[in-house]
Amino acid sequence: MDAAPMDATALLLADSRFPGGGHAHSGGLEEAAARGLVTDEPSLASFLLGRLRTAGALAAAFAAAATGGGDLGALDAEFDARTPSPAQRAASRAQGGGVARAARRAWPSARLDALLAAQPRPHHPVIVGLLVRDPRDAARVVAYLAVTGPASAAVRLLGLDPLGVNAVLARLAGEVDAVAADAARHARTAPEDLPAPGSPALDLLAEAHDRHHREEVRLFAS
Amino acid sequence: MRSAVPLKLVPHRGRLRRADHALVHLVSATTAPLGGDDLALTVRVGPGAHLVLRGVAATVALPGHRPGGSRALVRVEVAEGGSLQYLPEPTVVTARARHEAVFEAELAGDARLRAREVLVLGRVGERPGHLVSTLSVRRGGPLLRQSVSVGAPEVDSSPACLAGRRVLGAEVLCWGHDPAEPVSRPWWSLVPLARGGSLATALADDAVTVGHALDQARQHHPGSGEF
Repeated sequence: MDAAPMDATALLLADSRFPGGGHAHSGGLEEAAARGLVTDEPSLASFLLGRLRTAGALAAAFAAAATGGGDLGALDAEFDARTPSPAQRAASRAQGGGVARAARRAWPSARLDALLAAQPRPHHPVIVGLLVRDPRDAARVVAYLAVTGPASAAVRLLGLDPLGVNAVLARLAGEVDAVAADAARHARTAPEDLPAPGSPALDLLAEAHDRHHREEVRLFAS
Repeated sequence: MRSAVPLKLVPHRGRLRRADHALVHLVSATTAPLGGDDLALTVRVGPGAHLVLRGVAATVALPGHRPGGSRALVRVEVAEGGSLQYLPEPTVVTARARHEAVFEAELAGDARLRAREVLVLGRVGERPGHLVSTLSVRRGGPLLRQSVSVGAPEVDSSPACLAGRRVLGAEVLCWGHDPAEPVSRPWWSLVPLARGGSLATALADDAVTVGHALDQARQHHPGSGEF
């Protein structure tokens, strides 16, 4: 495993205090908790592992590919095709738009301007890849966020012990690194050939969450 | 039309044949797929032609004597004004099987496609082997690409993946107008894709329930009267 430290841009983007609006999303955890599918640390660990190996791996591959200077429009289209749930697409673009707002001030560049001119609300992994540059770091940021967002939502929604949840995340660290290392191989993969791991239950949870979000008050946007 | 063992194509000439489309049954003439098998089926639907391709029995993926897994590749092209309904029976992934299934469709501008896939994780009481199944639909650009992996117990049981359900169903509908809004119930949904087409998804503990859920989802498609 590469022991090189992550650059500070990657750390800022992965930080829960980064003002990108990521805190408003539970990644399906709120619906899973409402249905009693996640109730405690073991069921949370199971949820997070499944999420990491599917949605996390998908985001990681696209973040790595977006570092390579390839066609960002093609990446946007291929990520759409790999995200059948409209609620999941909206959540990804909401978070990508949040990163874009911060990035215009923090990391201005011609490539960022070109991306946002074509797509003002880019998918989250695509803009993270554009900002981070190193494929493994970019992949690690989105793989990490794929589990830390739902984990902190679980603390708030289920009243789980924050130290216990932190230990669950710590045990997933090796998996996060493995997903990032695998994704980093895709820095130069053609967009249409990128992996497409699906997560059917997450798609169903996201659509149900969206329906409930419109009918009643939910704490998280997704 | 050309068959090659073990995939036999049987055109339907019975009195139930409808004048507006051709019906062909897909019959597995031997036990397949077994480990080491590499099966391929290419379907080209010409301009204005309408084809329904139906399975008659479940596909049971089994381990074989030869090392390595089995593969099944189905490639379809549907030309302008044409339509294809691809409705195989469920695929059952038995213990120790290693199977890879790929369905790739390329559609002309106004071509129509309905393609169903039902994956069953092992026979009753059996732990499933490994399966990766990929659905890919393109119309110029990509409409849908999704790979589902089963057989890793920690992922199959995850509430994020299959939530412990034994059967997963998916049905792609690129059939005229798409549903304006997603429709969902706890364990099924019908959603419009980002760039055209729609997808029904269902999870349940048995194939009959998944079939009913996909039927229910399809009722919400604007073209549902035409199937």
